[in-house]
Amino acid sequence: MTPQEEVENLIARVAMGDRAAFNRMYERTSAKLFGVCLRVLNDRVEAEEVLQDVFVTVWNKADSYKVNGYSPMTWLITITRNRAVDRRRAMKLPPVPIETADLMPDSKPGPEASAVAASEARQITACLDELPRARAHLVRRAYLEGDSYADLAQATGINLNTIRTWLRRSLMALRECLSR
Amino acid sequence: MSDQTLPPDGPDDDEDRVLAAEYALGLLTDKERALFEAQLETDAGLRAEVVAWDEHFATVIMDEVEEVAPSPQVTKRLQAILFKREKQSFWQHIWPYGLGGLAAALVLWLAINTGIITPDEQALRSDLVAELAPTADGEGLVIRANVDTERGAVQVVLSAGTPPEGRVFELWLIAGDSAPVSLGLLDESESTIIDLPPDVLAVLPGALLAISDEPPGGSPTGAPTGAVRAAGSLSSS
Repeated sequence: MTPQEEVENLIARVAMGDRAAFNRMYERTSAKLFGVCLRVLNDRVEAEEVLQDVFVTVWNKADSYKVNGYSPMTWLITITRNRAVDRRRAMKLPPVPIETADLMPDSKPGPEASAVAASEARQITACLDELPRARAHLVRRAYLEGDSYADLAQATGINLNTIRTWLRRSLMALRECLSR
Repeated sequence: MSDQTLPPDGPDDDEDRVLAAEYALGLLTDKERALFEAQLETDAGLRAEVVAWDEHFATVIMDEVEEVAPSPQVTKRLQAILFKREKQSFWQHIWPYGLGGLAAALVLWLAINTGIITPDEQALRSDLVAELAPTADGEGLVIRANVDTERGAVQVVLSAGTPPEGRVFELWLIAGDSAPVSLGLLDESESTIIDLPPDVLAVLPGALLAISDEPPGGSPTGAPTGAVRAAGSLSSS
């Protein structure tokens, strides 16, 4: 069984109220999901509350997993990421400033991207690498840290409409690259 | 996490594709999101577009976000929240055997009221307290709860008000979004001390305590069946 199939199988058993499967799923996935919460919230206590909340949701909603068309880890990650972002917005956390260096036009992939490219070439990673480094950085900030347009404007000191235009162009370029 | 490409038959409109990505990233304003969700309801292609973006972005998380072990408290709290209710039904199962306990309590009550024993309430050092404010159904009630976490007990002090004729007061714990968990019935006396298991103690800070009126012996279903008469959340004293 692949890890993917294992998590899928566990979700199916959790949907039937299998506690052992729930505990096993927690063991298998909580460290990754907690990493997601921490990345967005940067605070262990808040991150643990969100993680707890996510697993309560998973226990109660596991039966709705099959109908929405997600692969198992994506389903878990998407719930977790969105819940953490909601919490971050509710807390009105100020964005982490973005270094000017990260915004310099540069065709070379950033350190993050090259490390990943070395380990495993994923389509999305390859496509992010095709973007100017600064633009790819903004997309990662929006997804991994949950920055809103207003956060990104504040973090960079760049006008919100400019940020929005940049990001939308980047998303369009990504979409084009991903469908190749 | 598939490496699936975005659906080739996805929305033709670039605007919709970008909106789907912005939606997946949570970048839309409330108004834009509401409009987009209305569109999602009827447009399967657009739904597939959102799922595909989520799949791609989740891949980035799988590759770029470090795993960090959460503290063991999280799993303890989850066990308490999710699996407590079924433990309650176990107790309801054996409640007839509790009649012996009731007899013992009666003896104790007599002993206290005749002055043979004085309850050692001083020993309860509360570190969490809740003032249970009366609801519209609980006018005139004055109830306070003091929790001694170290001793693992809650003392409920009913200084004004009584349950309706033929009913008893039951104490409930509501932690986060989870269903109410019964902590026990209040005595007819002014003060009731209820022992709390460790999994309940773990979720107490910030949790809500509530009082409902129930038939004698307590709620027959494991969930509150009568009116909620008072409620308040626990905070550090």
